[in-house]
Amino acid sequence: MSSTDTSSSTKSGGWRFGPLEALTVGLIALLIGQRWISGLFESPALQAGATIFVSIVVQAMPFLVLGVVLSAAIAAFVPTSFWTRALPKRESLAVPVAGVAGVVLPGCECASVPVAGSLMSRGVAPAAALAFLLSAPAINPVVLVSTWVAFPGNPMMAVARFVASLITSVIMGWLWMRFGRTEWLRIPSRDHLAGRSSWETFRLTATHDFLHAGGFLVIGGLTAAVLNVAVPPSVIDSLAGHALFSVLVLALLAVVLCICSEADAFVAASLSQFSLTARLAFLVVGPMVDIKLVALQAGFFGRRFASRFAPATFVVAVIVSIVVGWWLL
Amino acid sequence: MTREVQSVILFLVGGALLRISAGDVFMRYVKESMRPWLLISGALLVLAGVFVLIDVVRAARRGDVPDDDPAVVDVDEHAAEGGHDHGHHGPRSAWLLVLPVAAIFLIAPPALGAFTAGREASSVAQPADADVPPLPPGNPVTVMLADYAARAVWDDGRTLKGRTVEMTGFVTPNPKGGWWLTRLQLACCAADAIPTKIHPVGGPESLPANTWVKVVGEWVPGGGTQSDTAIPWVKVDSLAKVEEPRNPYE
Repeated sequence: MSSTDTSSSTKSGGWRFGPLEALTVGLIALLIGQRWISGLFESPALQAGATIFVSIVVQAMPFLVLGVVLSAAIAAFVPTSFWTRALPKRESLAVPVAGVAGVVLPGCECASVPVAGSLMSRGVAPAAALAFLLSAPAINPVVLVSTWVAFPGNPMMAVARFVASLITSVIMGWLWMRFGRTEWLRIPSRDHLAGRSSWETFRLTATHDFLHAGGFLVIGGLTAAVLNVAVPPSVIDSLAGHALFSVLVLALLAVVLCICSEADAFVAASLSQFSLTARLAFLVVGPMVDIKLVALQAGFFGRRFASRFAPATFVVAVIVSIVVGWWLL
Repeated sequence: MTREVQSVILFLVGGALLRISAGDVFMRYVKESMRPWLLISGALLVLAGVFVLIDVVRAARRGDVPDDDPAVVDVDEHAAEGGHDHGHHGPRSAWLLVLPVAAIFLIAPPALGAFTAGREASSVAQPADADVPPLPPGNPVTVMLADYAARAVWDDGRTLKGRTVEMTGFVTPNPKGGWWLTRLQLACCAADAIPTKIHPVGGPESLPANTWVKVVGEWVPGGGTQSDTAIPWVKVDSLAKVEEPRNPYE
């Protein structure tokens, strides 16, 4: 791993203790202290936390790579004019169209954040890109099939999930159109890449987006692992009895657990002490608002955006789930 | 973050993914079916690291200062958003990617076990097929814990009657005394692990937590409660300690 240590931070001949040196020293220190560090993780709770942290990051990596490759491809190879032709001119119509278009991205939420960022920087209206961001991880075929498989007794669950997720994402798009302010949203800028070749744009965008988002993914994974180990499941079980309250409890649990949208249906199925509507809220909220996702959104679009958009999405998703659950389940 | 550091971090993350998915270690964290995707994404990250390194070398030959990442000049430098300013361009958040790499190589977290299983209620999924198919022929027949539990709880043990089953799982101490034969199921990654617990009858009184055992035994009638938190019983004919299986989850 130190093969890249080519002392290239020698500016104008003089040696300087730069980030590369810091990284090298840090890695050597970690290697020397391995025994001591692994000794710290002997308690079962800490070990379980470390396992969950590594699992969340490892599971998300391929999807994040897919997401940044797609978004870089959009940035580099799809001309801006394509989007103006593909989406309706009127923003209020572009929102539902973009929401439905979420069907085509067969990934989980980690992939959709960079793609939505790329759409915005290519001139797609933010409201439409946000509707896509929310719907894509929830309504794609992989997720719907796994929901259908996880609830053998309730085929309507997959339908309710599709309907509630789509409605929530479209409402959020329209809300952003009506109330969102441009200064809250930091649209990833690619202006400085103008004049570079497509290939170079692709490569630089993908690398940068990965490094950037990866760090936020780590924050999300750490938080989720800590909460997963710190909150005993028995606390959650004891709250299952109250009708409306239980919806809120499972919605919050979805935020905390950060389960991939392709797997959350199986976990929802196992939460059988809760009502179907509460479990629907779990499935609708999870892919749209969870800790790792909010961290990713903060990284891509800025904290001022994430601190407004995520709570609003949570509220809308819970209300829509209750209504759709009452109607369909 | 300088471009050299970027390439090192890409190498580290890509290398860690390749390292765990080349062997069986990745199965402690995710499903076996993720292997090709982990290998591909690990290889792509290493490749990206190589390209960044080529840029660095080229820039050094030209005599440029290689510190500026051309892709990030203005993306991260919002003072209001960015937090601490070190005066270097590039995504500072990327430093955090060292953490999972360090966890993988230094701590090497084991597969989830008795701690997780002990905290959560057992879960028995209702079989998708209302007409549960018979077990394959032969006695003893190897079954998954989740399969055994589903047949016992949801199908009144019809297909288990008169059969000898062989199940491999780990020991989770029962807080009320004794232990459960346990296996965790993954839907996607270890964050969504769900335990299946089976109550052994006639085996040893207690065993250390997380001991892997192979149990050969018979179904104990009753327990067809059709509830998904039920813990079915199994009569233990023989029990042997075994190594942790290649894939610790079901």
